[in-house]
Amino acid sequence: MDLNQLIGRATGLAGGAGAALLKQLQHVRVPGAGQASATDDPERAAQRWRAVTVLRDPAEVSASLPAPLAALGDRVEVRVTPAPGDRGAELAARYRGTPTEQQVGDLRAALRESKALLEVGEVLRMEPQPHGRRAATPQGAALEGAAAAAPREGVL
Amino acid sequence: MRAATWTGVNEVSVETVPDPAILNDRDVILRVSRTTTCGSDLHLLGGYIPAMRVGDVLGHEFMGEVVEVGSGVRDRRVGDRVVVNSFIACGNCWYCRQELYSLCDNGNPNPGITEGLWGQSPGGCFGYSHAMGGFAGSHAEYVRVPFADVGTFVVPEEVSDDRALFASDAVSTGWMGADLAGTKPGDTVAVWGAGGVGQMAARAAMLLGAEQVYVVDRLPERLEQVRQHVGAEVIDYSTTDVMAELRERTGGRGPDVCIEAVGMEAHSTGVQNVYDQVKQQLRLQTDRPSAVREAIMACRKGGSVFVLGVFAGPVDKFPLGAAMNKGLIIRGAQVHGQRYTPRILEHMARGELTTEHLATHVMPLEDAARGYEMFKAKEDGCVRAVFLPHG
Ligand SMILES: NC(=O)c1ccc[n+]([C@@H]2O[C@H](COP(=O)([O-])OP(=O)(O)OC[C@H]3O[C@@H](n4cnc5c(N)ncnc54)[C@H](O)[C@@H]3O)[C@@H](O)[C@H]2O)c1
Ligand SMILES: [Zn+2]
Ligand SMILES: [Zn+2]
Repeated sequence: MDLNQLIGRATGLAGGAGAALLKQLQHVRVPGAGQASATDDPERAAQRWRAVTVLRDPAEVSASLPAPLAALGDRVEVRVTPAPGDRGAELAARYRGTPTEQQVGDLRAALRESKALLEVGEVLRMEPQPHGRRAATPQGAALEGAAAAAPREGVL
Repeated sequence: MRAATWTGVNEVSVETVPDPAILNDRDVILRVSRTTTCGSDLHLLGGYIPAMRVGDVLGHEFMGEVVEVGSGVRDRRVGDRVVVNSFIACGNCWYCRQELYSLCDNGNPNPGITEGLWGQSPGGCFGYSHAMGGFAGSHAEYVRVPFADVGTFVVPEEVSDDRALFASDAVSTGWMGADLAGTKPGDTVAVWGAGGVGQMAARAAMLLGAEQVYVVDRLPERLEQVRQHVGAEVIDYSTTDVMAELRERTGGRGPDVCIEAVGMEAHSTGVQNVYDQVKQQLRLQTDRPSAVREAIMACRKGGSVFVLGVFAGPVDKFPLGAAMNKGLIIRGAQVHGQRYTPRILEHMARGELTTEHLATHVMPLEDAARGYEMFKAKEDGCVRAVFLPHG
């Protein structure tokens, strides 16, 4: 599919345009690219364990969960298991019950931030950064939305 | 400060933007002394890479002087003259520990965009769209460099700025292609593309012991540079049947290693139509892999093909049958610069790796728009336009 068309279409959606754009990107189906298998139904997708592999000793990871994940409290179950081949720990979490998309986004962001805290000690900050003049355009707004939503989106 | 920004498809402006600041403990602020155009920027400018915003600062191949140091930086001091790698890597994750720096798990704060496109997110890159992290680029007076201990390298005194600059991206990329394609002493290597990247891939292959190295392009000034400065043989694809020529020159075998350094805007005819095509075909599936196809077809049985050229989406008519039946190894990567820059600087210091000739056009940053026009059109033999942000 034409990328500009895609962006254009996402822009047409009211509210949350950025996230919508990303969701569509995940489902770009070009002949010869993408997925051959069945796809999860939305409920199964929402309930899956979401996992990051962290290059840290599993015992250390279990001993003190990073704050972003701890903040989700009892709403999520968390599991820490050794990763094969000396790759550290698999840090996985899933909601009890069926979460909303918003909640799944919270969990993705929390897992990514937790990984950065465990491996790097801090989360990369991106604002403020130098940039030039930006007239307010629908395309620009969609991209800004997409960038803002990106830490909460993706296949995690 | 002044900075060169993307202001629309094939449009670059120089404008006044806010200065960068240290945002993380492991950041430094660099006063940019030299910053240059890369073939990858052309794909960006043309609108082929998703998620460029008007006003984004361009540039990812650069060097300069450290002027401010974050509290978590161990090995860099104010005043250090450093060259900086284009990809941003943490040094701590599993990928970084494997020296696959451009795959760093913690270098791209916007992983959702590329995960959607590719199933996994590579690392972040300076000045290379919000898909690759949204980091402000180096075509500016100053730039913030995250994870400075990992991605900056102090330049030995005997290496001039003009030479060191290209250790940032062009040489690292070329070296990576030759190395990860498995170039061994005695090998025959063919490189498609005589831009900065292809030339350096050829030079690296020679330094890794390749016995015969061929570079394929059609631009006479670039082929001349290959002869003079790289010392490899050349093939002009506009007048020569490349596969027949390579067969003839390799006893019918084909090259052991084929390195593609052309990218998604490869063409098989005249240069003039490229820009029209860029303008007309902003579609994801229009990556043009003509050099990749040719590399696969030309490669010897059981040989290896390395894709250095940047691609963003699916391609048509990929010769998978040839790759499978000939038992080829096909590999590609964004540059793992941190892995190669130290040894590249050593070769530069010993005079075995010279790059000054790539800087065909050196100009003030204020002229960046003109510089990109020339680079894009390969006008006046332009191989790289180098910008001097402080004159
Ligand atoms: N992998 C990485 O990390 C990395 C880093 C830097 C650049 N790159 C990519 O490498 C490629 C080359 O970069 P560059 O800076 O040298 O670009 P460049 O635009 O200066 O050079 C590309 C060259 O390819 C030639 N060419 C076009 N079609 C050809 C064909 N069919 N056969 C042979 N040659 C052909 C052109 O004439 C030109 O000389 C680009 O795609 C760029 O995006 C990748
Ligand atoms: Zn580059
Ligand atoms: Zn890393």
